[in-house]
Amino acid sequence: MALIETRDIWKTYEMGTVQVHALRGVSIEINRGDYIAIMGPSGSGKSTLMNLIGCLDTPSQGEYYFNGNRVSEMEEDELAKIRNKEIGFVFQTFNLMPRATAFHNVELPLIYKGTSRDDRKEKTERALKAVDLIDRMTHRPNELSGGQRQRVAVARALVNEPSLILADEPTGNLDTKTGQEIMQLFSRLHSEGNTIIIVTHERDVATYADRILFIRDGRIEKDEVVSEQEKVANGTKL
Amino acid sequence: MIFWEIFKMAGQALKANRLRSLLTLLGVIIGVTSVITIISALDGLGQSIESELEFLGPSTFIATKMGIIMSDDDFFEALKRKPLKYEYVEAIEEGCDECVKVAASSTAYGEVKYRNRKLRDVPIRGSEASILDIIDAELDQGRFYTPDEDLSRRRVAFIGTTVRDELYPGVDPIGKSIKIAGVKYDIIGIAKKKGASFGEDPDKIVYIPYHTFVKQFGHPRGRLAIFIKASSVENVPVAMDQVRVILRAHRHVPYDKDDDFGMVTADAVMAALNDITRFLRLGLVGVSSIALIVGGIIIMNIMMVSVTERTREIGIRKSIGARQKDILIQFMYEALILSLGGGFIGIGIGVFLGKILIGLMNFNMTPSMSAILLGIIISSGVGLFFGIYPAMKAARLQPVKALSYE
Repeated sequence: MALIETRDIWKTYEMGTVQVHALRGVSIEINRGDYIAIMGPSGSGKSTLMNLIGCLDTPSQGEYYFNGNRVSEMEEDELAKIRNKEIGFVFQTFNLMPRATAFHNVELPLIYKGTSRDDRKEKTERALKAVDLIDRMTHRPNELSGGQRQRVAVARALVNEPSLILADEPTGNLDTKTGQEIMQLFSRLHSEGNTIIIVTHERDVATYADRILFIRDGRIEKDEVVSEQEKVANGTKL
Repeated sequence: MIFWEIFKMAGQALKANRLRSLLTLLGVIIGVTSVITIISALDGLGQSIESELEFLGPSTFIATKMGIIMSDDDFFEALKRKPLKYEYVEAIEEGCDECVKVAASSTAYGEVKYRNRKLRDVPIRGSEASILDIIDAELDQGRFYTPDEDLSRRRVAFIGTTVRDELYPGVDPIGKSIKIAGVKYDIIGIAKKKGASFGEDPDKIVYIPYHTFVKQFGHPRGRLAIFIKASSVENVPVAMDQVRVILRAHRHVPYDKDDDFGMVTADAVMAALNDITRFLRLGLVGVSSIALIVGGIIIMNIMMVSVTERTREIGIRKSIGARQKDILIQFMYEALILSLGGGFIGIGIGVFLGKILIGLMNFNMTPSMSAILLGIIISSGVGLFFGIYPAMKAARLQPVKALSYE
């Protein structure tokens, strides 16, 4: 069974009297262990698609199955449960709690899950170790570099051992070198068995993934497998 | 577990905006302080009056010329009444089956003196010997005067502890002399200390026999009070009716006219006082509640600002799995910490201020538990009421919109 399966999903916004279709019938299938990039120009609907896949929103039409569960019909709190346990988000702007330490930021999903204090400490430290930030765990975001902040965000995404890591332009606010480090981190996480979806508009970033979904005007335009040659050429092979 | 963690987050959020939180607190503090101060002062006042009236005891009542008067018109009407006469005492003793003790009594104010020490404005109560069984004056030392001493107009005095302490420091006053309004008396006994209450010192008193009093101060006329003790608490209404009939007959009151005298019980006095203070209470509590409502509105306003400011934070929390309930609880906690925190501080200040107020008026008072409880209930009520809307607004934010909020 596919981890993610969408069947002809539509997302329509009412802008006054005008209907705007952000997605016009998207059907995709993503399996466990996949490393996918979603590419498209701005306004193509890729953010909308990401929000739907990430269970932050529900489609106006069509069906969405996550792990066999019909997400498209779920209530807000059921979606919250899926986001908490099954999905780890990494955002372009990091989206960390500014006043909380790195430790507390990473711990937060565990708190909402209701994990016990001792378990939280152990899991949080393990996640911070995975992104090599265990020595920075008492620092607040403003005491960390951009790359470090994004690694804290990755640790937070990892901490509940989710089925899917969903990264929205994770390198968008980073310089090239730091961006490459973050992408190498994702490649490593993928090699360890994680399912990863990256949303980006940069081909260089997208080639870290094994497969690229091109989206334009709310439709999947092309579904392309990244060749080994291109990975080598771009230096995106692990 | 999770609620405790969310509680900690709420505390941290408030700490991060320390000045704002303190200012918000201030609104509730002022509101609760004013309510608590007023309630505890009023409670203290009520308690003091009650303890002041306790000496009358539940089975005792007093017949007087004036009675309890609630308006100016009644007062001037009552002034025209004939005074009570001493003969009524005997008439009541004979005619009232349910009256066990009857005592004529009157009070004058004067100076008492022993050698070079003196005390001014002392109530000098001229009462018949049976008064001791009617009011709750208790013997501490020596003895009370006898009916014979009363009838033979002996100059003997029974004094309160304040008189003893002021006039006879370090001396046993029994057997000593005392000059009451210029006339020399012998002290035969001392009453047990009652302690000050309601701005008056009940131990600053001198009892002398009624007939001796009349001889020295003249007939009390309008100030004659007849103290009556009924056979039991249940029989007070019967005894009062009997006394009423006797007094009306002796005073020739036509059957279609109202009593031209008054009957006073502790309950009646209390009821009259409560009647007077009820509007005062309502008014004062009403006015101070306005401050509380303002405090609540300040909380609501600040919480609204806070929700808007932290829209993105709410979005992040939701994206990592916070349910609506978790967000709602966090914001409710914040409102409750503010309102209850302000409430507790307000109760502290209020009780303290109430005590000072009461102290200024020289009352005896215990901090009222009901005021404290009320303060907690009111402030948590304010927090819940004014906090729920902003918290619901926060909980219902859509994750996608909240995350993209700039």
